[in-house]
Amino acid sequence: MRTSPDPRQSLLLALALLLFLAMLVVSWLFHGTGVIRDDPKRNISIPSQLTVPLQVKAAYNGEKMFFRYRWPAQQPSIHHDVLKFEGGQWKTYGSAVPGPQPQGLHEDRVTMLVDDGSVPEFEHYGGYITVGDRLATLTHHASEKDVKAHPYLGKKKGQSEVSKYLPETRTDINDWASVVPEEKLAAQRKAGYFLDLWHWRAHRSNPIDMSDDQFVAEGRFGDKGKSMASNNWDVAKKQPKFMFDPEKTGGKAAMTWEPLVQGKLGFDDAYFLREDQAKPFDPAYPWKEGDVLPRRTLRAGEGSVADIAVSGKGRWKDGYWDVTLTRAMDTGNPEDDKIFADHRVYTTAFAIHRNATGGRWHYVSLPVSVGLDRQARIKAARFAGDAPQWDQGWTDVQLFYPGQVNWPLINSKRHPGADKVKQGVPVRFRHSEIQLAHYGVEMEFNDEIRKQWLYTFAAGLLLIIGLGFALNLLLPKREN
Amino acid sequence: MGPYHVMLVHFPIALWTTAALIILLRTFSDSTLARAADGALTLLLFLGAVFGALAFSVGLMVWPTEAATSSPLARNHMLMAGWSLAYWTVLWIIRWRGGERVWQGLWKWVMLGLAGLGIGLQTITGTLGGYLVGNPSAASEVLRMLGWEVFTTFYLPSWLVVAIVCAAAVIVMIGIVGRRTPA
Repeated sequence: MRTSPDPRQSLLLALALLLFLAMLVVSWLFHGTGVIRDDPKRNISIPSQLTVPLQVKAAYNGEKMFFRYRWPAQQPSIHHDVLKFEGGQWKTYGSAVPGPQPQGLHEDRVTMLVDDGSVPEFEHYGGYITVGDRLATLTHHASEKDVKAHPYLGKKKGQSEVSKYLPETRTDINDWASVVPEEKLAAQRKAGYFLDLWHWRAHRSNPIDMSDDQFVAEGRFGDKGKSMASNNWDVAKKQPKFMFDPEKTGGKAAMTWEPLVQGKLGFDDAYFLREDQAKPFDPAYPWKEGDVLPRRTLRAGEGSVADIAVSGKGRWKDGYWDVTLTRAMDTGNPEDDKIFADHRVYTTAFAIHRNATGGRWHYVSLPVSVGLDRQARIKAARFAGDAPQWDQGWTDVQLFYPGQVNWPLINSKRHPGADKVKQGVPVRFRHSEIQLAHYGVEMEFNDEIRKQWLYTFAAGLLLIIGLGFALNLLLPKREN
Repeated sequence: MGPYHVMLVHFPIALWTTAALIILLRTFSDSTLARAADGALTLLLFLGAVFGALAFSVGLMVWPTEAATSSPLARNHMLMAGWSLAYWTVLWIIRWRGGERVWQGLWKWVMLGLAGLGIGLQTITGTLGGYLVGNPSAASEVLRMLGWEVFTTFYLPSWLVVAIVCAAAVIVMIGIVGRRTPA
């Protein structure tokens, strides 16, 4: 049998193959486009960078525990929401939005969840266990009306949105409203079923060398006591409650808008309103267009909520924040705080907010163990004296943008590893931080991506079948 | 079904890889050995398609559909596995129908190119499968360097999906036009 080569047929064969290859190349170049984009209406804002490195050190002296954190940030966001004098009225700027606040008016933060083994899932899954059903800022979040109407969370605890909570504080992890009875919540707290939350804020705590002290149980709450930040807005009079006292702030009664939003106010400027440097707001003062007052007033906190202090100064320099927090190892508040004891191992999980973001637009870590004279990922150095020397090396922790992956999803049929979670297989066994970051982003568009993936699958099959069909027709004819 | 899927995938991988080696040999050699090996090619490709279809079907039963179609890695694995199966099946049909004609002139280079692409597809499929069973390999680094992060779903924008469907139609038309060409 012989074949006769036909130039025209060869040309058509080459054309078919060229078209097939061209489609492959174009597909490779444009895959993954056309779906993922910011969508404020759905509370979606994807950061350009999905991972951020954090460095951590820990030390203790038997009385106090120290944690030092260092992370990169292009610029420090040391302001939070403000009141701007505009058209004869005081208007609020800097409220939380999906992603970065446009004027840069949202503070940087570093947070650390701590557990002593009383919340066993935390060691394996870290902060994921606190991301429950319909949390605030998720695309599908519970309405303010529903939360306020909840007999316990709304009416008794005064919550208006669903905050982080632990799985066993609900009878059904898929239902934020199914809070267990109060007696059981109290028993859980007494048994240590809560996570301690160290919450340093660049505006609402750092200027007075403090850190907020909170916990996560049936919700995220501040520890008992008087918090260090209060609201500077008088709802009834529709004006600020306090202004800068010019006698104590070098003659300034307020900040001015332009330098504020241009990031020109630094740590040495009057950028925060401390009670002892403020005086009651004077509406008769000759306020000018563009005068700005912080919407938060800072004061020395009291009680358990004021257990954590900044050691030295929390400062941003040369592209990095460097913050050291300290707290008594035993605060005497075992139902608010995790008590640190020598020779024990704890589990922590870290997070940062930067680039003027709030809410869920943070970078988080997987669980990290901290040992006090024990083997752990972070080995806390024991030292004598009042302040650590910090001569040990940093522990590098990879932070990642978590997207919208919550505990109900992780335990649902939509998660291929749900059965492994039920067996207690740690998240790190199967997932890296970068993998989780990409998955988190894709979950924000899961339905759209799945649909587009199906179309892609079908189009690819058509292309392959089409090529096969054409090649069969273009086979050279047999000659006897 | 996971362990059975893992067991079954060895067959199409082995069969298609052997087929690709025979195609490589036959492209460059007209020897008795190459001709003898080529004699088994159609059967190898046929068995590859059968076992590939079997492995693919069992693979679909490893996880509930809702889970498999929600996981980027699983989606990618299914996509590449489905394309590999279709692709090698097409290759089988071409070799079966074409017979010795596929080793003459331009056609042997077409066969070699198609086999190379098929090996690429099945390698990507295997790499993704390795991730899914907890054995990631460095092969994914190559894909990353080439522009695909395997932790993200491989999907195309709608305009490109339409373009591909149109291209498939044009390719079929080219075949039909070619058939009408007198020998």
